[in-house]
Amino acid sequence: MAVTDLTSRPVAPGQAAWRQFPTAWRFALRNQARNRLAWLLLVAFVPTWYLLMLAIAGHKPLTFRLFATGQALTVDGGHLTLISAGLNSVTMVVGFAIFAAIRRTLAFDKRLVFAGYRQATLIAAKTCAIAVIAATVALYTALVLLAFWRPDGGGWPAIWAGFTVMALTYGALGLLLGVLVKGDLEGFFLIVMGGLMDTFLQNPLGNPLANNPVLEWFPSFGPMQFAVGGAFGHRALWGHLALGLAWAAAFAVSGLVIFQIRTRTRRHPT
Amino acid sequence: MTGGAGAVLQARDVHKSYGRHQVLKGADLAVEPGQLVAVVGENGTGKSTLLRILAGTLAADRGEVRITGTLGYCPQDPVVNDSLTVGQHLRYFAAARRLASLQRADELVELLRFGQFKDQAVGALSGGTRQKLNLTLALLHDPDVLLLDEPYQGFDWETYLRFWDVVGDLRSRGKAIVIITHLVFEQERFDVLAGLADGRLTRHDAPTEDPHGGH
Repeated sequence: MAVTDLTSRPVAPGQAAWRQFPTAWRFALRNQARNRLAWLLLVAFVPTWYLLMLAIAGHKPLTFRLFATGQALTVDGGHLTLISAGLNSVTMVVGFAIFAAIRRTLAFDKRLVFAGYRQATLIAAKTCAIAVIAATVALYTALVLLAFWRPDGGGWPAIWAGFTVMALTYGALGLLLGVLVKGDLEGFFLIVMGGLMDTFLQNPLGNPLANNPVLEWFPSFGPMQFAVGGAFGHRALWGHLALGLAWAAAFAVSGLVIFQIRTRTRRHPT
Repeated sequence: MTGGAGAVLQARDVHKSYGRHQVLKGADLAVEPGQLVAVVGENGTGKSTLLRILAGTLAADRGEVRITGTLGYCPQDPVVNDSLTVGQHLRYFAAARRLASLQRADELVELLRFGQFKDQAVGALSGGTRQKLNLTLALLHDPDVLLLDEPYQGFDWETYLRFWDVVGDLRSRGKAIVIITHLVFEQERFDVLAGLADGRLTRHDAPTEDPHGGH
């Protein structure tokens, strides 16, 4: 059957396609921001998680070798755990919010494309909305951390940057799972279990083998190294931050390619 | 059921299988401007599959579909976004269709009488109102060819009659309309009844006492 892309002809061609972007961007952001459970998780879960993890970890000194630099560091184990807990919080909140929003609207997005929305415009709008949500959640999580610990010097900006890259990575993973996974349960399970394993295996307090080279291949490795290097070693490990961004980009590109395939329609010959 | 050269919708030898289950086995359909065609058939005979193939949202295994002009498709289940309001849907789809104004959208909202819900999130609306929005989104750009899959599901009687007013107006302006329907008692409203059975369409000319659908 001879079929190609199906979009109806524009009725008013004077209105350029690029004008679709502000509408798509505004509604994509609104759609992702309307998940009340995700906001509740953010407001209540993040401080509770910090409190709980700090209570479990205590303030015992911990000596470990920072994988990225080889530098031996002696730190407050509770503070290190707060970084792990913050990273873990953003994986769950952002991953869940983006996954739910993308999955819920996939058929609607397909109808929009069918109606003539450019896929590239929808993709760009979704990407921007995910970035804004991720950055907001990361900022909030980093700010709440200050209630438990005030890092020295450039420590807090490094932690914030690590959280932001982590949020972008799991936002992109949420996008990928949203277009890939068939059921809600599978998606939530993968985000929660993936986030827990990813972040807590990086913490030498919880995992004595945290310097195992295999952990370099985990998405949280780069952001964790950047946050810990900045907070305790006073080093800006930009390469590791870029490594985290590479994970975010890989997930995002995979998700957007699948989104493009799943929302494409056909145009019949006339 | 192939038709003349004036057809704006022409489907030839459309085949579709789901696994081993062959649903369409060479369905043909031709619809001319201003013609109102009903696709009828028992549950599970492939009516929605056929319409999705005609619309282009589902690929056929074999066959050819040709459409002249713009197309509007109203799916059986409302494909809407629960977190957006009715008004936001209209603006979103107006942007998709690159419409300069919402004039046609406002007309349809008025005709189908759901203007009072314009600022409500669609997730909070009744099934009938969601279906009105579903239909409005398909008609927003005043398409030349319309494919409607049981478009009046959940409508109250008043809205149902108004739906036929809208269809009458579209037909009088030369729009080609295909409707999947179960309403055998409304056959006189249609120009052509296309019965789908055993994967093929069979054409029956509808009763002609009142071909333009008065009520």
